[in-house]
Amino acid sequence: MSQGAGDIKRRIKSVKSTNKITKAMELVSAAKMRKAVNKVLATRTYADLTWELILHLLKKVDIKHHPLFRENNPASTGVKNVAVILIGTNRGLCGSFNNQLARKVVASIQLHHPETVSTDIITMGTKVRDEARRMKLNLIADFPKNDITQDSNVVRPIVNLIFKDFVNQKYDKVFVAYTDFMSSLRQIPHVKQLLPFSTEIDERLGHIIHEKEVSQKADLNKISEFIFEPNQAEILNNFLPRLLEVQLYQTVLESEASEHSSRMFAMRNASDAAQEMVSSLTLVYNQARQANITAEIAEISAGASAAV
Amino acid sequence: MDKFKLKIVTPEKVVLTDEVNQLSVSTTSGQITILPHHLPLISQLAPGEIIVKHQNKAESLMAVFGGFIEVLPEEVIILADRAEYAADIDEKRAEEAKQRAEEALKEQHLDSEQFAMLSATLEKELNRLKVARKYKQKGIRNLQ
Repeated sequence: MSQGAGDIKRRIKSVKSTNKITKAMELVSAAKMRKAVNKVLATRTYADLTWELILHLLKKVDIKHHPLFRENNPASTGVKNVAVILIGTNRGLCGSFNNQLARKVVASIQLHHPETVSTDIITMGTKVRDEARRMKLNLIADFPKNDITQDSNVVRPIVNLIFKDFVNQKYDKVFVAYTDFMSSLRQIPHVKQLLPFSTEIDERLGHIIHEKEVSQKADLNKISEFIFEPNQAEILNNFLPRLLEVQLYQTVLESEASEHSSRMFAMRNASDAAQEMVSSLTLVYNQARQANITAEIAEISAGASAAV
Repeated sequence: MDKFKLKIVTPEKVVLTDEVNQLSVSTTSGQITILPHHLPLISQLAPGEIIVKHQNKAESLMAVFGGFIEVLPEEVIILADRAEYAADIDEKRAEEAKQRAEEALKEQHLDSEQFAMLSATLEKELNRLKVARKYKQKGIRNLQ
């Protein structure tokens, strides 16, 4: 057999083993995605009820003066300093996931706050950190991220950091950039305002399938006044950071679901491409083999006719 | 008998939703019992126990760690950091966890942050242990 056919055979073999790896990674990502989706769903009730509590409070007591609700800068002076938390991935092989997220951040800052003087970036996940560095964004902190986040403790350091800086008026606004998990086929990078708190429930966050649940709202008119124990200030000071934590935790979970599903699709595409490559290489291999045989027969028959 | 809706949720799952007659929780300002038609109240939970009296006279005992309680006219919502049924607590493992936390606390070279975290762990495990033992002694019937 000629050298050419042997080479092709080797290539087929290597493509086939790559195919096996991508196939396995696809299955692993699918399993991780399911897990992450379940986690988002499990946290949703808690997050919704937390928001409802805040809404109840807003109707009954004036908490606008609390530092986390106050806009640090009146609209006239504009938003000068903002911080953006980017929630990305630790690993690659998930298409343009991190790149899209970073670009979305730059685009939305330019669009909504053109007057912004400085934008500080906090990242979570090594790949998105590298991406931010490549885009020459002003990176101030990077937090480690797990593959599957177990509980809300992982976001606590970030909450502490932005909480302190926001209360000290270092930032006028704090955003979080995450990838919204619409379905396993569709994930959209999304930038959401974290601080100051807006008083609207976010319909997107945590609502994976974006169905609207009709829940019975408590009749607020019946409530004359809330009793706070031990007192209002203490409750708010403890509760609002917790709310922040819950929101951030949810964005992390959503990002995780998106990450795994986009990796799953990247791997599926790779598997398909590998299979296509194998079949076209097999064709070339067979042609080369056939050409070999034909050449050999020609040689033999030429030798035979010469002998006669 | 009068009843009210009770929801106990943690970030991980919904622990309980039911219509109940009575609820006792420990807040940072002391143990409180909530009966139907309680005034609207918002308070912070302390590590402690939750006792729920269900409509069929059965009681549930839970260990709870941190969180908030919101009392509305017909509904009570407990947003706990962690809550588990007493029956689900593995007493032996809770005991081990407590000992580990105690030993770690005795060690020196702890910075204040580590110390605070370990104290919190210890407090949590002590509470779980207490609730688990109480459950065992009284044999409170548990609804699952």
